[in-house]
Amino acid sequence: MENGHASAPAVASFAAFMLLAAAPYAARSDWAVGTDAGVRHDSNVGNAQLSSDIVADSVVDARLSAYRLFPLGDGLGLTLGGDLAGEAYHRITGLNNASLDAAFALKKKWGLGAYAPWIRVGGTVARSSYRDDYRNAWDYRATLASGRRIDERWNVWAEYTYEDRAANAGPEVVPGLSGDAYSQISHNLGAYVEYSLSDRAFLSLGLSGRHGDVVSTSAPNAMIYYASRALAEDPAFGPEAYAYKLPGTTWGARLGVSYSTTEHSLLGAAFERFDTHADGGNDYTKTIVEITWDYRF
Amino acid sequence: MNKLITAAAGLILVCGAIPGLAAELHVLVKDHRGRLVADAVVVAIPAESKNARLAKPPVDAVDQVDKQFVPYVKTVFVGSKVHFPNSDNIRHQVYSFSPAKKFELPLYGGTDAPPVIFDKPGVVVLGCNIHDWMVGYIYVSETPFFAKTEAAGTATLADLPPGEYTVRVWHPSMEHGEESTARQISVNADGPASATWELSLKPAFRVPRVSGASSPGYP
Repeated sequence: MENGHASAPAVASFAAFMLLAAAPYAARSDWAVGTDAGVRHDSNVGNAQLSSDIVADSVVDARLSAYRLFPLGDGLGLTLGGDLAGEAYHRITGLNNASLDAAFALKKKWGLGAYAPWIRVGGTVARSSYRDDYRNAWDYRATLASGRRIDERWNVWAEYTYEDRAANAGPEVVPGLSGDAYSQISHNLGAYVEYSLSDRAFLSLGLSGRHGDVVSTSAPNAMIYYASRALAEDPAFGPEAYAYKLPGTTWGARLGVSYSTTEHSLLGAAFERFDTHADGGNDYTKTIVEITWDYRF
Repeated sequence: MNKLITAAAGLILVCGAIPGLAAELHVLVKDHRGRLVADAVVVAIPAESKNARLAKPPVDAVDQVDKQFVPYVKTVFVGSKVHFPNSDNIRHQVYSFSPAKKFELPLYGGTDAPPVIFDKPGVVVLGCNIHDWMVGYIYVSETPFFAKTEAAGTATLADLPPGEYTVRVWHPSMEHGEESTARQISVNADGPASATWELSLKPAFRVPRVSGASSPGYP
């Protein structure tokens, strides 16, 4: 650990160990390659509280994923792979970014078949690079998930993720107050249910809670300043915008519908609502509407 | 001479009937909206049980291609030996929980798995423990007289010994039981008989191959 964050060499070493451990099974492994793309509208990109600070924007995103499954027997499987992703903002172009991640997951099914309960532990290391590079960061995630398909129509699962986002610390804007506003640590919990409306249409509902650091971008503001742990300039939102890091809790809900256009693809639409309660009474909300397309080769 | 007689008798057994004396039944299966139904199994149970012994159990196969069972529905005579070759370049773990045949083939590739003998009539639902969306059906028929409908909803039961039959239709998505489709049909060598069934089908819910639940990158 380095400054509270897992070091990149340690993560790389662990990934190399996992690859070596899986090598004997590689001859009969299973590649899963997929791609997804989407467009979303975010009603509050900067997580601002005051209406004068709120900026809405539309984002186009795309991702290419390649994962390899190594069946280890007895319902145990190891997945190794990664994603290459990008986001393009319509207005706040300084947030345009590309990211590359490497991930592993170990999944255990108790029993045979699609209805057997399962548990999965996994980890991801991601590097994101922004057009305005002060937001560039390493992102480390550890996930524990468990679920079960109840029957042919109902599928439920829950997931806990610990996330450590390590960005470069910026210069102190105010002496004595950290400039490391874009590094965040958070605990995330989500519960999800998916229901088959027909043989091709699906309805999904997700509830989530997140506790940890939040970054809120606004014009200079005394109320948020006194509650913040770090402060940095945020020129992507304008010359007078500052990013404040605060401890906060976010509650979210997601309602989605999707349709299998072919056996390999899925067209989806979702509505998400997030309510954040941060220290010092700095509360904000955001709504996201998105359309997605997934394809699995 | 005895060998020649045995060979001729065997040929008759395999063919099911002596040419010229066989009958045919042409079947059309539609759903309740009039759409043609593929993958419906039609079985004819002869009133005279001796007719049901006119074939010997064959060796059959259900393949795995592009992470799917091929064919989706397979019909075999009871006692058949079925191989499960894996044409994918990955391993599969085929299983069934069905009362008609419970079995599991541990992870394998190619043609490594031993055949499975289906010794009890009924429907056997197939799955793969690695790829949850894979589903297939083996209909184990109590009679050697069966056929499966094509995309046009048609099937032909050929080489039927003339006589009385109870004919039933089964489909993986049928709303009511197979018994509700039973009909008495008489066939003779003068010309083919024909019959049409209309089935109520429910939506075929299947585990989706691509799902919001699948992460990271794999179900």
